[in-house]
Amino acid sequence: MSDFAVEPSSHMSVILDLTPAQWYLSSLPKNEYPLSFRSFLSQTLAFLNSHLASKHENTLAVYGALPGKSVILYSSTDSSVGQDETVADANSYQPFKTVDSVVASQITDELDALGDSDEEAPCQLVGALTKALCHINRIMNPNFTTGASDAPQPTREPRIIILSVSPDLSTSYIPIMNSIFSAQKLKVTIDVCKIFGPDAVFLQQAAHLTGGSYIYLERRDAYLQHLMMTFLSPRSVRGILAVPTQEKIDFRAACFCHKTIVDIGFVCSVCLSIFCQPVPVCSTCRTKFPMKTLQRLNASRPSFPPQPVVRSMSAARTPTTSTPPGTRTPSVSNHHADRTTSISSSASAKVNGSSSVAVGNGMTP
Amino acid sequence: MEVESGSDDFIDDDDDFGGSRGKNVKGKGKAIDRRKKDKGKGKINEQAYAWEASYTRSWDTVQEDEAGSLQSAVDDLLARGRRRRLLAPSSAFRRTIIRHLILLLDLSASMMDRDMRPTRFDLMLEYSREFVLEWFDQNPLGQIGVVGMRAGVGERIGEMSSNPQDVLKAIADRHKLEPAGEPSLQNAIEMARSSMSHLPTHSSREITIIFGSLTTVDPGNIHDTLDACIKDKIRISVVALAAEMKICREMCDKTGGQFGVAINDGHFKDILFELIPPPTQRAASKAGGGASNPSADLMMMGFPTRLPDTSPPALCVCHSELKSEGFLCPRCSAKLCDVPTDCDICGLMIVSSPHLARSFHHLFPVKPYDAVMEASLSSPSANCHGCEAPFPKTASAMSGEGISPLGRYKCPICLNDFCSDCDVFVHDVVHCCPGCGK
Ligand SMILES: [Zn+2]
Ligand SMILES: [Zn+2]
Ligand SMILES: [Zn+2]
Ligand SMILES: [Zn+2]
Ligand SMILES: [Zn+2]
Repeated sequence: MSDFAVEPSSHMSVILDLTPAQWYLSSLPKNEYPLSFRSFLSQTLAFLNSHLASKHENTLAVYGALPGKSVILYSSTDSSVGQDETVADANSYQPFKTVDSVVASQITDELDALGDSDEEAPCQLVGALTKALCHINRIMNPNFTTGASDAPQPTREPRIIILSVSPDLSTSYIPIMNSIFSAQKLKVTIDVCKIFGPDAVFLQQAAHLTGGSYIYLERRDAYLQHLMMTFLSPRSVRGILAVPTQEKIDFRAACFCHKTIVDIGFVCSVCLSIFCQPVPVCSTCRTKFPMKTLQRLNASRPSFPPQPVVRSMSAARTPTTSTPPGTRTPSVSNHHADRTTSISSSASAKVNGSSSVAVGNGMTP
Repeated sequence: MEVESGSDDFIDDDDDFGGSRGKNVKGKGKAIDRRKKDKGKGKINEQAYAWEASYTRSWDTVQEDEAGSLQSAVDDLLARGRRRRLLAPSSAFRRTIIRHLILLLDLSASMMDRDMRPTRFDLMLEYSREFVLEWFDQNPLGQIGVVGMRAGVGERIGEMSSNPQDVLKAIADRHKLEPAGEPSLQNAIEMARSSMSHLPTHSSREITIIFGSLTTVDPGNIHDTLDACIKDKIRISVVALAAEMKICREMCDKTGGQFGVAINDGHFKDILFELIPPPTQRAASKAGGGASNPSADLMMMGFPTRLPDTSPPALCVCHSELKSEGFLCPRCSAKLCDVPTDCDICGLMIVSSPHLARSFHHLFPVKPYDAVMEASLSSPSANCHGCEAPFPKTASAMSGEGISPLGRYKCPICLNDFCSDCDVFVHDVVHCCPGCGK
């Protein structure tokens, strides 16, 4: 363990996806491994505590992505966030207790404040992500313009962990990509744990482009184990541990016109805007395209309209899957079945096609 | 394709080096470039020639205030960046993003001069490597070729390539590039021109010359070559290391490029790196709203799936080799080794979508934040909406255009307050407001 003594302290920002509707679906008993929000939260808090416990200087920030808004729930570097009112308890380690009580009470407050109409709003993952980046930017570059003399020492190896249950929000394609590139500039690793729902294309790209891990949680009863094995170690240690790596990376993009996720797009040569069908005028830069091109492209297009799911159904993309693509949903999750994770637990070893079909059923209530 | 020369210039005079001035008087400003601003270049008045102005070092411009603090100087630099952002149009820029560039390196004996350390030649190679990396970062779909000028002829050093590693490899070995003889501008430009003649119309064609000599040995009339370049819409920019040559300035002026004479190492790098951001195109609206731009086109592109190195091996269509990792064409599912490329089976252009996305922040810039001048009556937030840093409780005495005495900067859309660090970070790096996601 002496090697670990010289490891620099690390900063971790955790983004919790707090979409009530998705958590309800996740907790339904018809899922093979139902995971309720309560159980998710207690396992996550255990993980956060182990991050704080692994090194005294480690710092932590917790964000919540709610429908229509994003909030910071806890920050160990700012005393102003989440004031702790709990009395010291001789039987518990105070930093753990602070995190647990502040995060839990903040989540309760935020969820109570949500009105019925708010629940329809899309999850503000982008807001939480950009706030986490702003925060990391500040603690990485303690600047005298903020006037804080007690600014914390710059931490090394900052990372962001996204615990996601919502599907991809194609309207946020551009902000998410911009966030990914700024994370690259700040040398921030983005890890993604997809707890429920279909694979998130943009988050796959985020993890790939920033050198993080993307985990699709198949055995949700082993959630805490996945967290500990994959995400607890900072980047410098991950080379020694065999953390699970991403299998396929889907490089699809969202078109600017209908916000659908496309695998073949039509791109304006002037501004590189992406459209899902040939358009006569670029809506971004107002460039008119030649008639000849439009006719040529329309002629060469396949006759059926672009469907984002069509591609993941094609058998060629999942060469190891023996199951022929049947209905749409099971085949989407079929390619999670052959995902290889190097966690040597029984959890990932015994997964077969049937379990993922059940996951697929769970997301189409 | 029409390229406007003025638009590459900074709007602020104080960032302008006299040498690159030329006819660029109608500069329209451009997106902020953090790198330049961070250097905080000093004020250099408009002068005909760069070497007549003294190059102000960044540490000379920083002045301590009466209390011996650097606070005011830092605030001033921040405010200057903020003002520049306010002046820049917030509407979408039109830029030539598919760029083709030939880097013309002077490999004549004059490059062995030691007025730049260690030699002009070594410095040129070093900066060229950095230039290539940064250029591909900002112009993801561009291509660079390298041509050398040595012993009176043009020499093809690297073919046009969209892979930065190929270009770097071409200029990696300094022994193969050992300078010799006299340079020939005409021969080299003709060679660069011929290698760009096949390019599609919707891409830009540019030549960037790093020129250390004061002479050129040409077989014919270089003005004929210049006319041919104008006809082919090739934009020539020159970074001179010795002094201004009339023909060099003329080439730049007539083709809409930039001309600069480097005074020292740092300045050499600055004027070279000013050529990296994509040049803005003359807006189509100038010709009466949405006029058709003959060079614009709609391209069909495919976004692939990347296979990891643990996937079962299969033959790739490009080399017919058995490989595990690779990319799958979304249309025909052929396995390709590398992107961007054209699919060998169905001919679809395959690009990785993050490559495209890297330039999106040019298209949708964040609206500048307003400096909050006085405390509003409604209860203001105690912390920055981005980084949660507490705002100062009392207004500072510091004031100036674009500086908020309260340290608050308000997003005009979501009306959230941000600290000055986040203001800079959001506009220069993230390009997305944490409050409204726009
Ligand atoms: Zn569309
Ligand atoms: Zn366009
Ligand atoms: Zn193909
Ligand atoms: Zn801030
Ligand atoms: Zn905003």
